[in-house]
Amino acid sequence: MTDTIGENNKKPIGAVMVIGAGIGGMQASLDLAEAGFKVYLVESSPAIGGTMAQLDKTFPTNDCAMCIMSPKLVEVGRHLNIEILTTSEVIGVEGEAGDFRAKVKRKPRYVKLDACTGCGDCATACPVPRLDLFNGDLSLRKAIYKPYPQAIPNAYAIEKQGMSPCRNACPINQRAQGYVALVREGRYLDAYRTIKEDNPFPSVCGRVCNHRCEDACSLNQVSEPVNIMALKRFVTDWVWSKMDHGELDPQAVKWHEVQTDTRHKNVAVVGAGPAGLTCALDLRRLGYAVTVFEALPVAGGMMRVGVPQYRLPYELVQREVDEILAEGVELRLNSPVKDVPGLLEQGYDAVFVAVGAHGGIKLPIPGVDLPQVLVATDFLRQVSLSATEDLDQFIKGKRVLVLGGGNVAIDAAMSAIRLGASWVGMSCLESRETMPAHDWEIRDAQDEGIEVFPSRTFKEIAQDNGKVTGVRCTQINFRGFVDGRPDFDEITGTEEIIAADTVIFAIGQRPQVECLQGKVEMVRGRFPHVDEETLATNVPGIFAGGDVVTGTSFIVNAIAAGHRAATSIDRFLQGKPLKSELQRPPLVQLSELEIQQRAITAAQDYHIRHDTKQRPAAERKHDFAEVYLGLSEEEARAEASRCLGCGICSECLQCVYTCRANAIDHNQVETIEEIPVGAILLTPGVEPMDGSIRPEYGYGRYANVVTSIQFERMLSASGPFSGVVQRPSDAAHPRKIAWIQCVGSRDISCDQGYCSSVCCMYATKEAIIAMEHDSNIQATIFYMDIRAFGKGFDAYITRAEKENGVRYIRSMVSSVKEVPRSKNLRVNYVTFTAEGKPIPQEEEFDLVVLSVGLKPSSAAIETAHRLGIRVNEFGFAEAPLYHPAQTNREGFYVAGAFSEPKDIPETVIEASCAAAQASALLAGGRGTLTRQAVYPPERDVSQEEPRVGVFVCHCGINIGGVVDVPDVVEFAKTLPNVAYAERNLYTCSQDTQQKITAKIREHGLNRVVVASCTPRTHEPLFQDTIRQAGLNPHLFELANIREQDAWVHRATPQIATEKAKELVAMAVAKARRLKPIKRGTFEISHQALVIGGGLAGLTAAQSIAQQGFPVYLVEREAELGGNLRHIFVGVDGSNPQAVLSELIHQVRSDPRISVFTESEVLDIHGYVGQYVSTICHKDGSREEIPHGAIVVASGAREIPTRLYGYGEMAGVISQRELEAELMNGTTLPQRVVMIQCVDSRDDDHPYCSRICCTQAIKNALEIKRRSPQSEVVILYRDIRSYGFRERLYQEARQNGVIFVQFDPQTPPKVKQGTSTLEVEVLSQPEQEWLKFESERVVLSIGVEAQPGNEALSQLLKLPLTAEGFFLEAHVKLRPVDFAADGVYLCGLAHSPRAMDETIAQAKAAAIRAVALLAKKELTATPIIASVNPRLCSACGLCVEVCPYGARRLEAGAAYAEVVAVLCQGCGACVVACPNKASQQLGFEFLQIAEMIDSAIA
Amino acid sequence: MTAFTYYPGCSLESTASEYDASVRAVFKALQVELNEIEDWNCCGATSAHSLDPLLALALPTRNISLAQAAGKDIVMPCAACFNRHKTADYELRHDPQKRAQLEQIIGFTYQGNIAVRPILDVIVTQIGLKSVAERVVRPLRGLKAVGYYGCLLVRPPRVTQFENPENPQWMNQLISVLGAEAVPWSYATECCGGGLTLTKSDIAARLVSNLADHAREAGAQTIVTSCPLCQLNLEMRQREDPKMPIFYFTELIGLAFNLTEASGWWKKHLINPLPLLDEVLTQKG
Repeated sequence: MTDTIGENNKKPIGAVMVIGAGIGGMQASLDLAEAGFKVYLVESSPAIGGTMAQLDKTFPTNDCAMCIMSPKLVEVGRHLNIEILTTSEVIGVEGEAGDFRAKVKRKPRYVKLDACTGCGDCATACPVPRLDLFNGDLSLRKAIYKPYPQAIPNAYAIEKQGMSPCRNACPINQRAQGYVALVREGRYLDAYRTIKEDNPFPSVCGRVCNHRCEDACSLNQVSEPVNIMALKRFVTDWVWSKMDHGELDPQAVKWHEVQTDTRHKNVAVVGAGPAGLTCALDLRRLGYAVTVFEALPVAGGMMRVGVPQYRLPYELVQREVDEILAEGVELRLNSPVKDVPGLLEQGYDAVFVAVGAHGGIKLPIPGVDLPQVLVATDFLRQVSLSATEDLDQFIKGKRVLVLGGGNVAIDAAMSAIRLGASWVGMSCLESRETMPAHDWEIRDAQDEGIEVFPSRTFKEIAQDNGKVTGVRCTQINFRGFVDGRPDFDEITGTEEIIAADTVIFAIGQRPQVECLQGKVEMVRGRFPHVDEETLATNVPGIFAGGDVVTGTSFIVNAIAAGHRAATSIDRFLQGKPLKSELQRPPLVQLSELEIQQRAITAAQDYHIRHDTKQRPAAERKHDFAEVYLGLSEEEARAEASRCLGCGICSECLQCVYTCRANAIDHNQVETIEEIPVGAILLTPGVEPMDGSIRPEYGYGRYANVVTSIQFERMLSASGPFSGVVQRPSDAAHPRKIAWIQCVGSRDISCDQGYCSSVCCMYATKEAIIAMEHDSNIQATIFYMDIRAFGKGFDAYITRAEKENGVRYIRSMVSSVKEVPRSKNLRVNYVTFTAEGKPIPQEEEFDLVVLSVGLKPSSAAIETAHRLGIRVNEFGFAEAPLYHPAQTNREGFYVAGAFSEPKDIPETVIEASCAAAQASALLAGGRGTLTRQAVYPPERDVSQEEPRVGVFVCHCGINIGGVVDVPDVVEFAKTLPNVAYAERNLYTCSQDTQQKITAKIREHGLNRVVVASCTPRTHEPLFQDTIRQAGLNPHLFELANIREQDAWVHRATPQIATEKAKELVAMAVAKARRLKPIKRGTFEISHQALVIGGGLAGLTAAQSIAQQGFPVYLVEREAELGGNLRHIFVGVDGSNPQAVLSELIHQVRSDPRISVFTESEVLDIHGYVGQYVSTICHKDGSREEIPHGAIVVASGAREIPTRLYGYGEMAGVISQRELEAELMNGTTLPQRVVMIQCVDSRDDDHPYCSRICCTQAIKNALEIKRRSPQSEVVILYRDIRSYGFRERLYQEARQNGVIFVQFDPQTPPKVKQGTSTLEVEVLSQPEQEWLKFESERVVLSIGVEAQPGNEALSQLLKLPLTAEGFFLEAHVKLRPVDFAADGVYLCGLAHSPRAMDETIAQAKAAAIRAVALLAKKELTATPIIASVNPRLCSACGLCVEVCPYGARRLEAGAAYAEVVAVLCQGCGACVVACPNKASQQLGFEFLQIAEMIDSAIA
Repeated sequence: MTAFTYYPGCSLESTASEYDASVRAVFKALQVELNEIEDWNCCGATSAHSLDPLLALALPTRNISLAQAAGKDIVMPCAACFNRHKTADYELRHDPQKRAQLEQIIGFTYQGNIAVRPILDVIVTQIGLKSVAERVVRPLRGLKAVGYYGCLLVRPPRVTQFENPENPQWMNQLISVLGAEAVPWSYATECCGGGLTLTKSDIAARLVSNLADHAREAGAQTIVTSCPLCQLNLEMRQREDPKMPIFYFTELIGLAFNLTEASGWWKKHLINPLPLLDEVLTQKG
């Protein structure tokens, strides 16, 4: 595999894609970006941070996870060369290493990242609660959410599964799920607005819709659909009744400002029915002048004159028409249009023809022209226009027969009953079952006494002297319509006359289209021909829609046509192509299982639908008052709670209405982007195992059994219980808590045969922290082996046991049972007596925490498959032993827990290791795609009077809803030196940054104060802004009036306002005194020094060189290779010596590496970027070398033990010696006993040497492999085969290696027998003395720090641990750094570790060094200490307290200096200085004093 | 009409004849045909399965061969019978060598076209809770019961393929459909010690007491079983008074269906259930 490309051919692409933005992905991104590469950080969720963001504290230092990670989040978020792609996934990569094209699927977030300020108002408005996965499902969030408060990007995202079936089924895409959700929340006015968004006739559609939404409702699969129509009616009834009772201001529903004719175009709409009026309203809102022509004296079309008012009261229609007119639509009643094309000539720019289908039809049979034969449309129109007197002669006291079986027929029949007919019948072609009217309608009609005669064909209208006497008909077998003609057989002998005085035809309607003057193309001569999508006719400018095009149809279809026509007319008038290419979101289709699950969670009694009641038939048939009654509020909310929320986001638009930054965009669609990159890093991390993987522990069915990740959230101050440890079942404070280890780990019964590596430690940490939160808590941890193999881990466990009183019980829990009432848990396990007798135990606990294992997410495995990255049987992308972070595909690297379960520091190390390899691969492309911030020259303000500009932020309603912001602005204007003050809705938004820049120029401002939120996230942004305006970034001050004011004083707005003023006054007071701070820059010597020529040093040197920088490698001994020279068997059975000699060869032959063996570093002086070291060679000669960075890889050694007769008895050897023997020996020992933890994990060495368990198992297996009948016994305390090493442990047991546990209190005894060694051991827990005869006793001897570390640490001023290993800057997040910049650490000098881990760490150290060396120059931290030489008395206190060696007092100097490049700005020296000679820049005495003065003034 | 091949097993001819009666009555009421295998033989649950591994498979295989000829799934009320037959079927399906051996012994060709199923499975998943619910005329309102599966119905899950073996739900769903209250408890699949009831009756008694105590603790008035040995053992080995009557789930279905035959079943119980039934069912009826 090539390590570097592009040396001979074209340059590689200087960009890297990192997939997965947990702590590993973040670290790799930062390393690469700092090392000169452009980074695309791809994350599938809406925020970076990964699992670490969920953790409460971290072991073994108990640091707050979020506190230590948050600065990294911000750094990644603000890095100029890291582009974060959230809600994205990589779907394919083409090309080859150095020249890839990555296809990235960018899923819609529905929130514009550049506009969202993260204020959170949208989430308050959102009516859709969701279980909060971030909080382990223990609390709720909204469908629009930010995963956690510190999330980067600091922006919201909408969880949307797609368009709900109800909305999708509706012709106008009415947001049914939206208003249903709002009704459930009791937000009826908001629901009304959501409905009105798409429907100007909600009270109509709440009554007479065919509600396809309900047909599509997912609940149909398990029950009856949500009564969506009734809910719509409920909302309109509620709103109007409130208005009628004066409880709701009519202005409250005026969401649209009345438009003026901004477009200067006129549109004519012909017909004031639902289609015409909808179109008119839409166009009016777009700014067109619209005139509606209506032939009748009333508006509303069929809604008004077609639907009887017992179904739809007229005043409702009128009310909704009036609302449309109130927005400026002009309506001309009694104005039939005779010539539509003529309208265009009259000056209308477009016409919408929506005249409906009002022409009635009769059958061509004898007698139809008699006066007593009516047509339903005319009849109903007359009824509705109150011309009922004319109808009395035909109806009152008469027998009325309606011909037809649809809704119109029903309407006619029921109207006739109400007008006083003595008898009403209906007859139709169709059978009772196939009648087009709804079944319930027919039953309602029958309830009112209407007789139904289905399956009949009509022969003639029977008459007697011009008076109708009935209808002659025959019964038929009706089979349906063929080509529009009825298909039936008459049944002979069934002819009859149904007696009637009046006959009403209700067999269909036709449009009256004479007005089109024959100029518009027609279909079948009856309907205008239009384009289905655009509704355009063949005449440009003439559009038609609604019943006139489709024939009689439903109101909602007409409204849909109105909307569509408006869109088309708008496009037409703007000269755009009529067809738009708007993509629709995908339809949600839930599986039956999903539906069932959601139904159960939605509502307990989801199967009970709330139907509207109707007045009794006997009562209602006598008047025209409304038949159906609405739902009560209680019924409505219960009904709404049945909704399954198919789309998750209900698309109710409340977020859109609330967001003042206009950041929400529900129309976003998925896009695919192709990004060129040179290398790809996979850091997708892992996820916790589902707690129900071991169902006998009752996770998911016992409320008080939680997973460890849930418990992390329970401990977290920002978690669901605000850090109070309480039980989910009853919020009681648990006293006894049990942790069960290895749930889904080390468990082949559930195919998880690996160790998850971190659970022993995190369980201990959780136990300690829980006990710290609540001292009443007693913690018990049930475990198999305690695997505390990391640096400082064993000491942590000992502390937990000895000091905190955590009870550790070595036993696998067999089952957990729930106590019925208390919901306590009975834990069943086995203990052993002092005699070794097993006793089953049942112990009751208040809470059980399952220490669940880690596994790759299915999405991560899928990504790996898609990208052709091989994964192992557990789904991990396991890296080759000698090449950590590498994959099977060149140019692809993998890091973090996705390659093997690991903790945070190992993840960070491996991430850096992967970054180092990408950096080496792409060395030729370094710096080609990165960019640097470009600023205008800085303005010199030293001679100016302070002119302070104050910008006070509303932060939406976050601040503005509590603090009187205008008042604060007015106050700010009165403060001294304030030259300008203003307020902003969101001071952090993009446009406000431009505004601030403009104001600085306009008003000559030279200090800026922003009063908004926390400086932690926002100060860098504002500093950047004023720098863009030519000001030094440190002439800025921030007053936090959100977190420190508005949020905590919500209840007392007045006090909050006063406090805001004081905070602003303090900030201004300080701002007046602010001085520019110059950042020092320093040159860099672009070479590295590596101390130590073992595996770590060799690897680090090689990696730095491969990344393009010269290296000096210094080794004390004559030979390179260190401890690795003694290892002959790898865990995979390979021989590491081959690898070592190849590595040494490569290092020695690399011209960029100068190797000095038998040499030592005598002296180092200088500082980061500019060291000069003195090297002493074997011959005593000395050499001075300059370098910018140092890598400490000085190694460690095997403890020279005296235990178990080592060095005395011939057969007692070390594992190393065994390996040498296995390598060279001809005879294989047949009986071997190995003893673990020799000079390890004891009082002198209170730490685990980490490698010995694996080494022993590996060697035992080697013996067994070669000689299966041999006897190999391993005496151990805990087997620490973490990660995939567990497989070796399993293999060893399967192959017959005998494992015997002993107690360190009674260690094994080794004696020289007659011919063999005799080993006696007291086995645990059986308490039996076992005796083994053995040819070899092999000691697994611990590792200890090099004795030389002391001297080196003094030379470099680096700290050591109590055990003599080097102490890194931060055990979690800076595992290879030192507090002092420029020095890095790797290998055994850090702590005992395995070969692969050493290689990874060495490469990690390498890229940390390269990130420094790749810089042209170094910039010092701005906020550092400075010295006023005149005040300094050279007392030296500052030198003593400085932890970074940044204070210096040369002998005889008059004052102490600050080495700017080393100073980290901690302020310790400032505090120590008795003379105020040391000052912290940006926080100088006078600046702070002014603030205090202002505060107490 | 749906039909099944029926294997009653020996217990249902003797100690658990009321189980057999209730199964037949309930299936009749549900209009599902049960065709008893003609000339069925012992399933081998008693001693054969621990003494002779091959005989342990051959015995049930013969019954399977008879059922195969009938072409319908073979259903059985007894958990032990089910376990033996299911194990044999599992071996026939997964071990070609064993299959050949067994085919030779029995003299048939295994086709694997019928399934071995417990009665509970058939009622819940095939006949369906909806059909049961529709037939309920006398809901058992007021009765608090825990569902109990014991061990042989669910274990080993690899062989039995039982739904959710650590936390099965069928019995509770059924109890709810009958109008009774299915009280949650954690011991639905614990062993009752039935296998030791004669040889080590003290152990059986301890395990039974545990179950009865836990059922009482959960607020239940009865334990509902689907295994003749569980039912017998749970009644026979209860020590504390008042003793809790134990029902077969089919008996409760019969009660809720208001089957007249039901009154004949109780005399076979060692603990008289009538006081409880009177108390609960007359009160709230």
